[in-house]
Amino acid sequence: MHAETLQDMALMHSDTLIERARQGDKNAQGRLVQVWYKRIYNYCFRFFLDHDLAMEASQKAFISMCRNIEALQDAGRFKSWLYKIAVNSCREEARKMKGARAVSFDVVVNADGEDSPGWEQTGRRNENPERQYQQQELAELLQQCLMELSVEQREVVIMKEYEGLKFREIAEALNISENTVKSRMYYGLDALKRILEKRKITRETVSYEL
Amino acid sequence: MNYKPDESLLISYMYGELQGEEKQRVERYLAEHPETLKELEAMAFVREVMKKNPDKEVIAPPIVFDDRKTRYFWQTPFGRSLIGVAASFAFILLIGKLTGLHVSYTNQTLTVSFGVPKEQPVLVAESEPSSLTTNAVQDMIDQSLNRHNAALQTQWMETQQKLDQSIKSNLANRSDADFNRLVQKVSAASEDQIRQFALTLQAENASMIKDYMTLNSTDQRKYMEELLIDFAKYLEQQHRNDLQVLQARLNNIEQDTDLFKHETGQILSSIISSVDQSTSLTKN
Repeated sequence: MHAETLQDMALMHSDTLIERARQGDKNAQGRLVQVWYKRIYNYCFRFFLDHDLAMEASQKAFISMCRNIEALQDAGRFKSWLYKIAVNSCREEARKMKGARAVSFDVVVNADGEDSPGWEQTGRRNENPERQYQQQELAELLQQCLMELSVEQREVVIMKEYEGLKFREIAEALNISENTVKSRMYYGLDALKRILEKRKITRETVSYEL
Repeated sequence: MNYKPDESLLISYMYGELQGEEKQRVERYLAEHPETLKELEAMAFVREVMKKNPDKEVIAPPIVFDDRKTRYFWQTPFGRSLIGVAASFAFILLIGKLTGLHVSYTNQTLTVSFGVPKEQPVLVAESEPSSLTTNAVQDMIDQSLNRHNAALQTQWMETQQKLDQSIKSNLANRSDADFNRLVQKVSAASEDQIRQFALTLQAENASMIKDYMTLNSTDQRKYMEELLIDFAKYLEQQHRNDLQVLQARLNNIEQDTDLFKHETGQILSSIISSVDQSTSLTKN
């Protein structure tokens, strides 16, 4: 699903572009922001399930990236370095959010999503508005399942499953060992399995999607 | 078979990161443990389902970065504060310069003044008490007196000269004018006028003498009368006194006579008694 994007990113995040950005080239830094913004925003959104918080955290992450990229020693570790910044930015926003005691509107709206299994209906996956709505509803439901994980497991699952990072890169981003990353991944997937079962998302109910 | 792959190894296997001997060992383990294999399959299903949550499309917002390299020292908050303090200090110095503010601390005295501070004569005198000696003060007094005397002398001399001049001028004017006037009067007066003047003078003198004599005679008469009366009174008083004296003498004589009689009588009685006694004695 990210094949095109990752290929594009592979082209963009060449050592040349990163090297220019490290030397203070504003154009190169702006280009890096444009290339990586979608990835970092989606990581933040999946972490928060909140657009505003995701925008805030991702923008702060990129501001921090541009300020500190000159201190980046190895251009080959740019990806893990950028995700480390994003992780720290998300954690900081989460601390602020905990103090503010704000509740996301999306969470409130879809609180009873499990009781409306509209997406269980079968049918052709064509340009049917109803079908699209069902897919969107499933996506939101899966996002809510993700939010039920602990922060540590959520970080690892998002980075591995949605951002396509290697375990080594995740370990560098989180500043933990690879074994710890894999262990968190294992227990994170195990927890997600139980959450999905609790929400009646089984192979049978979503067979039409697979 | 005590081999049991841990969670990280199972995850590595699931993500296809195991190779060679390690991979085969895990596969053998999973073949012997279908429940673990089932768990891994469930996890694979979870991964498959979770991919149904696609990315959200988002456009990168314009992010404007402040260039820290062009942020000079005076643009930092600390630099701004420092410049503010320096500007305030410079402003105070400028105001002090314009107003001539003078602040000094000498001899344990803080002096704040606008302009150059004036010398304090009292403080100088106190700080140098030995500068004025008694002789110096005496000299100063002498000099002052000399100056005063000289001024008085000159003033007195001027006044004297003015007086002399005025006297001389008055005398000169008087001699000339009065003598001329008298000479003119004398020359102008005729003999008859002189005679009439003399007659009037004589008449006036006669009347005056007559009045004087009359007044004098009457007064003298009064005086003589009073004198005679007083003399008469005096004589009468003298006569009365003499009579009193005589009477007193007579009284004294009378008393003396009585006393004499009494003494004579006592003497006689005593003589008689003595005689009687002598006679009795003789008789005895």
